This record gives sequence, structure tokens and C-alpha cells, in this order.
Amino acid sequence: MSRTVIEVSDVSMRFRMNSDKIMSLKEFVTTAMRGKLQYQEFTALDHVSFTVKRGETLGLIGRNGAGKSTMLKIISGILKPTEGNVVCCGNVVPMLELGSGFDFDLTGRENIFLNGAILGYSEDFLNAKYDEIVEFSELGNFIETPIRNYSSGMLARLAFSVATMVQPEVLIVDEILAVGDAAFQEKSKRRMLELMGGGTTVLFVSHSLSQVREMCGRVVWLEYGRVKMGGEAQEVCDAYEGG
Amino acid sequence: MLLLGYAALIILFYFLVGEQLHLRQSRGNRELPAADSGTVELTAGSVVEQSFITTIQRLEQIDVQWGTYYRPNAGTVLLELMDLRDSSVLLSGAFDAAAITEGGLTTLTAEEPIEGLYNVPLLLRITSPDCAVGSAASPLMNTQEKLEGGSLTLNGEPSEGVLCFAVKGTDYIWTGLHYWEFAAAGELLLLAGLGVIWLRLRQGRRSYVVNAVAAVQKYRFLIRQLVSRDFKTKYKRSVLGMFWSFLNPLLTMFVQYFVFSTIFKSDIPNYPAYLLIGIVTFNFFTEASGMALSSIVGNAGLITKVYMPKYIYPLTRVMSSVVNLGISLIPLVLVSLATGIEFRKSAVLSLFFFCCVIIFSLGVGLLLSAAMVFFRDTQFLWGVLSMIWMYVTPIFYPESILPEDFRFILRVNPMYHFLQNIRLCILNGISPEPSVYVQCTLMALGSLLIGALVFQKSQDRFVLYL
Repeated sequence: MSRTVIEVSDVSMRFRMNSDKIMSLKEFVTTAMRGKLQYQEFTALDHVSFTVKRGETLGLIGRNGAGKSTMLKIISGILKPTEGNVVCCGNVVPMLELGSGFDFDLTGRENIFLNGAILGYSEDFLNAKYDEIVEFSELGNFIETPIRNYSSGMLARLAFSVATMVQPEVLIVDEILAVGDAAFQEKSKRRMLELMGGGTTVLFVSHSLSQVREMCGRVVWLEYGRVKMGGEAQEVCDAYEGG
Repeated sequence: MLLLGYAALIILFYFLVGEQLHLRQSRGNRELPAADSGTVELTAGSVVEQSFITTIQRLEQIDVQWGTYYRPNAGTVLLELMDLRDSSVLLSGAFDAAAITEGGLTTLTAEEPIEGLYNVPLLLRITSPDCAVGSAASPLMNTQEKLEGGSLTLNGEPSEGVLCFAVKGTDYIWTGLHYWEFAAAGELLLLAGLGVIWLRLRQGRRSYVVNAVAAVQKYRFLIRQLVSRDFKTKYKRSVLGMFWSFLNPLLTMFVQYFVFSTIFKSDIPNYPAYLLIGIVTFNFFTEASGMALSSIVGNAGLITKVYMPKYIYPLTRVMSSVVNLGISLIPLVLVSLATGIEFRKSAVLSLFFFCCVIIFSLGVGLLLSAAMVFFRDTQFLWGVLSMIWMYVTPIFYPESILPEDFRFILRVNPMYHFLQNIRLCILNGISPEPSVYVQCTLMALGSLLIGALVFQKSQDRFVLYL
């Protein structure tokens, strides 16, 4: 329980923002010639530090635009921070937003392999776990139909099943627990708890405070890119609700 | 493993290239000058002598061009090649004057190439033992040209100008003669490289090579999945499916064949195969680079959510085009067989140049995909550029129709070099000389290097612009 899995030390992320994004060469040249290539600095994260230990479930809460998603992207390696660094041991599996790793022309089966490969699973592992994934997603015979025919609930179930089938060292969950019907939500919650029991570190972003209270041990409250408060889940949630 | 593979490749290459490894058309070859006058009517007793110095290492044949005064002639003409150092006769041949046509050639061929004539003064003597006035032919000459180190003598009188004669032969290629030394040196270098990597690894230091190999191992499954995804979805919901990869080049070839065959057919032997090789090769290039171009922008949804090395996206696009290329080689083989091309062993060498095209396309693809992220204009620019590129590459026309002034465009166009050598290997059944391999490899790797560098430098900023 004591090994540090994620260490975020003094991370700052600044974006250079043009007043309007320059997307074409012509625009770039013309604005550059007029000397109007000015950038506004936008600080998404400002010297944020925290650590997450193995097996912990850390909740990130905060208003829209507080920097939660940016933080997750930096931890999963998609963004490089402007300053500071993040040390992350083990493989990070982000739970994709619905369907972003899917190809809609492929069947459910093909998508399990494609999405699994994207999440970094090995082929043997997917072969071994394939039946389990299908069973958990409750898709039955639909697994052989192209997923463009799926309902959104079916897609979400498939995505969740693929993402949680491993024992990833770090699982990143960005507001997607509310998928499927009530029964599946219950099932996915159980699955999450199972994973946490098995030593997976979970980073959990949600606007639903009741979920956060239920799932998380510790919570970090971000506001305007700074850590406003960090500590026990109940305590921070109470403060957040109060503020 | 690697060393054995290298050795096997080297030996295979040696056998496939064959004679072209050691010998190339001599740089000292002399072409026929344009004839503008006759010399003398070559009757019995007349002598036409042309002295010259050759820089051919292995002299193989000499041609002389004749005029007939547009009448039937009779008798015999005698061609002799003499070494002026000791006046020995190196080659001689007698030809029937009746068989000589206006502007025709008589050819003196050496049974075995004559060596040791480099920078040696030679004399070509043309005489006739029995031709009579009124029925004798005349060797042609060019009165304007001057021959360095040689002179023309007509019946003993020195004369201005040059006899219309051609000298052909081959030279040894230095790298070819030392092929095994080069091969051994390469093997040693490889061994040394492996040794260094192994040492670094033992010291616990990271090395680029090991990292790259590890990455390929790690992402092999992903790459395979992405390639099969591209391939499956490309023809999904079409009736003929992957058969289109096969049909497409064939149909393009038929259309272009009917359109252009009347114009270019006479200039190019086996026009259908010539055309198809061009279409298949260039189609691959445009498809691979075009798909790679949109690979980063098109996968924005994934890139902003999952971490994986970003070069995987352009790489898989190029690889799925390679699968396509593989399929479209089938009609190429079929058409070649149907039009009567014998596949010689050198056809296998065309695979080397196909590899060059693939690597070159990957480099271009990396460059374009990175540029596309920052400037969406890239796709439109590239559309126009690739069209221009297509027209300056001799795909459906022979390179000979380009005026001399524009030939430089071909020389700086890597696609031209790849294409021309593929054609040489398949259509002519001979291998280009060794330096061409080095040239093509350098062009391909150069493109990859530039593309990879630009990509590497800019990839961290991709996410911000997607």
C-alpha cells in the first residue's frame, strides 16, 4: 500500500493561445507580417504537486476548466508539462470516452482486439480474456455485428468491458461511470471496487460528489489550475459543497 | 541471426546482380557521330584509316557506318583494328558489300572482350580487295567534329573530320571487383555495432537501437491491428471488396493504354507493362503519402486520449498501402507474363527498389502528417504538388520526349530513379550498376531522416493543435 505510483511534482502547464487559432499557412503568414502574432498565455495548471500511492483511489474534483482533464492528460503522457515532471510507474489505461477508440465499420469482436491493442494489451491476453469481455459486456450475439448498429448503451458497455478487463496499474476514469442501465452501472461499480481491491490505482474525475464520496479515499480539489485543497474524501467534498 | 541474414542477403544480391556487379557500359564508349559526308569510294586499293585512343577497359565491338550512293554494290570490304604500338592486328573481319545498306552498319565483334587497350593508340583501317568503281560503298564521315588524339587519313592523305564509327565496351567497376571485401567490411561493422550495443546494455545505458527494437516488439500487435483495420474498412460495404486493389491499377492501365497507346506505343517496347509498373509504383506513393498526411489529424480523437508513440499512425497508414501494393503486384505479374516478358532473376531486384519507394514514401508521409497538424492547407497543396509530381515522372510517357533542357527535373526526382530501375530490372532483365543502389538507398533514407526529424521535433506540440 505504500509504494508511490504517481508522483506529480510542481507541474505547470501553459498554453499559448492565439486570439483565434491559426489553421492555415496564409493566415499565419499574413498575421506574422502584420506583426500580430501575439500569444496570450493561458495557465491551465500552476505548480501542482501531489502523489498517489499504490491501490489508492484519488478523486479529482473542481469546476469546469479547473484543469482536471489537463492533469489526467499529463499523467497519461499525452501532454508534456511546460514545467515540472510526472513520474508514473506501470501501465496507464485511460478509459476512453465513448467510442473514441472504436471503428464503427468493424464488428464488436474486431473492435475488442483493436481497442485492446490501443490500450496496450497483448494478443495472448486478449485471446484469453475475450470470452470474459463479451460476457461482461452482455452483448451476446451482437458481438459479430458492426458496431455502427449498436445503441449508445451497448457501446459504453463494450468500452467499459475492454478497459477494465486488465489489472492495469493505473486506471484513469473521466466521468464515464454513468453508462448503461441501472443494473450495468451497479455491475461496473462492483468491477471498479474489485479492481481497487486488487491493487489498481484509480484516478477518478467526476462532478457527481456522491460517487466521489463513495469511491474515493482521497480527493484533490483543483481550482483555476491550483490545488485548492487535498485530503480525506469526506472532508474535501464537504468543503467543496460548502464553497 | 542478424549477421546470418546479412550474409545471406549479400550472397543473394551477388547472384541476382550477376555481371552488372563487375561491369558497366564503359564511360569511354564512343557513339556514332552524325554523318554529313562520304569519305572515298572504297574501291580496291583505297584505304580509309582512322586512328584513335580509347579509354574502354574491355573493348567489345566497333561499328562503321556506310553510304552506298543509293545503288546496289558488290565485292568485299575489310575492317581491321590494329594496335599502333606494335602494328599487330587485334580484330579483323570481311563483309559483303552487297549486304550494306545506305546508313547501315558493319560490326566488328570481339569474341572475347579485348583488355589492356586503355589509353592505347589504335587504328581502324578499312580496305577492299576487289571492289570496282561504280559498285563500291563508302564509309561515312562527319566533317565538323574533331577527335582528340586521333586523325582520319583517306588514301594516305590526312583529312579533317571524323569517320562515322562507334566503339563499345565495358569497364570494370571498382566496387564490384572488391565486392567481397566490401561485404566483409559491412559484416564487421554490423558485428562491431552489435558489440557496442551489447556493451552499452551491460552497462545499463539506454541505446536508441535497443529502444527502437523494443518499441517495435511492444507495438507490433497494435500496428497489426491498425493495419488490418485500415484494410478491412477500406473496401467494407463494397461488393468486390479487396478485389478492387487488384482491379484498380488494371483498369487505370486499360484506360491510359487506350488513350496514350497511339502516341507513345512505337517508342516503348511492351507499353502495357511499362505503363502498369509506372501506375502501380506511383499509385502507391500517392496513396501512402496521402493517407499518412491525414493520419495524425484523422486520429485526433485517439491522440488526445491515449498515449502511444505518434509515429505509429503514419507508419500504419504506409504499411496498409504496402499491403495494397503487394496485391497490385499480382496484375503486374499477370500483364507482364501475358505480354511476353520473361522474368529473369534480376526481377527479384526490383523488390529492392520497391523497398526504396516504401521508405521514401514513409519519410514524405511523416513530413506531411506533421505539417498537416499545423497548417491544414497542406492537404490542398499536396494535392496539387502530387499531381505535378505525377506529370514530371515518366509514368505513361517515355523519358525521351522530355527536351534536353528539362532533363534535370528527372535527375532530381527520386521517384524517377526508383521507377526507372524497377523497369530496368523487370522489363530489360538486367540490374543497374552498383552505384545506383547506393544512390537510391541514400535518397530513400534521406527522405526518411528528414521526415523523422521534423516529426520528432514537432510531435510534442501536436496535441495542442488538434
